[in-house]
Amino acid sequence: MSLIKKIHNQLVAKEFTCTELVKEKLALLKENKYNSVNTVLEDLALEAAAKVDAKIANGEEIGLLEGIPFGIKDVYMVQGTYTSASSDLLKKYKSAYTATAIQKLLDAGAIPMAKENCDSFGHGSSSENTVFGSVKNAINQELVAGGSSGGSAVNVAADYTVFSIGGDTGGSIRQPAGYNKIYGLKPTYGRVSRYGLMAYASSTDTVGPLAKSIEDVAIVMNVMSGKDAKDQTTIASEEIKAEVIASKPEGIKIGYFKNFIENDAIDSKVKADFLATIEKIKSAGYEVQELDFFNADTLVSTYYTLAMAETASNLSRLDGTNYGNRIEDKNLKETYMVTRSENFTEETKRRIVGGNQVLSQGFSDAIYLKGQELRKEIEAAFEADFNKVDIILSPVTPGPVPKIGEVLSNPHAMYLSDAYTVGFSLGQLPTLTCPFGTETGIQVTGAKNKEQTILQFANFLNQVQ
Amino acid sequence: MSKIMPVDILSSIKGAKSSEAVDKLFDVIKNAEINSNSSNQNAKNAVSIDDLRADVVENSSEITKQIIRENFPKEKDGYLVVSKVIEG
Repeated sequence: MSLIKKIHNQLVAKEFTCTELVKEKLALLKENKYNSVNTVLEDLALEAAAKVDAKIANGEEIGLLEGIPFGIKDVYMVQGTYTSASSDLLKKYKSAYTATAIQKLLDAGAIPMAKENCDSFGHGSSSENTVFGSVKNAINQELVAGGSSGGSAVNVAADYTVFSIGGDTGGSIRQPAGYNKIYGLKPTYGRVSRYGLMAYASSTDTVGPLAKSIEDVAIVMNVMSGKDAKDQTTIASEEIKAEVIASKPEGIKIGYFKNFIENDAIDSKVKADFLATIEKIKSAGYEVQELDFFNADTLVSTYYTLAMAETASNLSRLDGTNYGNRIEDKNLKETYMVTRSENFTEETKRRIVGGNQVLSQGFSDAIYLKGQELRKEIEAAFEADFNKVDIILSPVTPGPVPKIGEVLSNPHAMYLSDAYTVGFSLGQLPTLTCPFGTETGIQVTGAKNKEQTILQFANFLNQVQ
Repeated sequence: MSKIMPVDILSSIKGAKSSEAVDKLFDVIKNAEINSNSSNQNAKNAVSIDDLRADVVENSSEITKQIIRENFPKEKDGYLVVSKVIEG
């Protein structure tokens, strides 16, 4: 059931005012026992709510998203608000403009409630790499929220926001969605403009929604999608139709990667639950094929090599002179050094250094350029797979949700926890996390621009659970 | 041209060193087998010349200018203050 439609109907029926709704959510966000928020946008939200109430009072029709409270990961520019990327460097940085995706939601009348806590610059898989305090899981507060869009996932799961906008580079929407048992969509690369999203790894960065229903994911995607002159990697896309999503998918073939499931790294319960879901799909009459794919180590290493190279390049502009908190020293060069040393977190510095290593003389041929070649092979393998099947299913993570404190102490284990998400990022494919199938959810992936097909199949899967 | 620059200078981070966790990732790439038959994805990802936007100067709104000024750590007579210009 669409929460957006339910609230829309309640607003139209005058069961409560938009201001009352927004005040209730603001109180929850401020109380906030999960560390899921960096800045509450109280004035902005109340001002927008008053406009919606005025329209309703005047008997004017309101749009579906008008008056719907939503959250924004703190890596998106919203004019006049702090956009910290959960870092010390940008803690007091104010956005001078608004990201295209967010502007489209504001134009549709959705109400911005908060800038949400996340891993600093998107660097992490647990939302513990943040200067605002670790985000706690919405279901069990001893566990991590998942990263990097952890605050966004928790706010939706805890009903602080109706939907939130996260950012997914290597799994940053899909993994926290799975950890907090909600839906999270990483769209096809380029479907939503990245203009105004703080760049982490430009070739895999995507903008996507986290929500409690498939229908809500589709509603938000339809508003945000489209070509944007300010982001030349954007592509034209077709509307996702609610009636298609609600119908049973016919004549499609399902596949899964055998080597994701048949290896020592996967948790036994995750494996058993995933295979049980496969059996349900077979029982419903669908053909399921086992597929061969790259091993997890190669996927993780290829992704991180390229992502680190891109983040080293993207974050080189953050030196305290152009942006952020500057720490003065004896000359400009030392000022850059001290500013970056003191203001970046350890994980962010680890990734910047790794990126500069692979881009430097003596390393670029053996690692960076080889990583680019491997990526081409991964993309070619996906193309071949989607000639055989329409949907690829996979667990979101190999293991269960970690406890707070376990992840940051072992960066290599953290990188490996992304084994099942990063491949689809390298392929720039649309992938949806569904909150069932395994403890951390199940991913439904399609070929590029097949968002409607994956949402339709996810809806069917939800019904057979 | 053969001078290799250390990562702390490349990264502008004091005392920066490579990490064991990241080196493990790179080792996997070094040892990976490459199949030379993969297709040319770079051409597919290129932006069409028809999609390039016009290179024009656009004036920012007053609110944008005001916020940008707020973000500057130091300002003097309308100019950003830089600590010291590097010599040589």
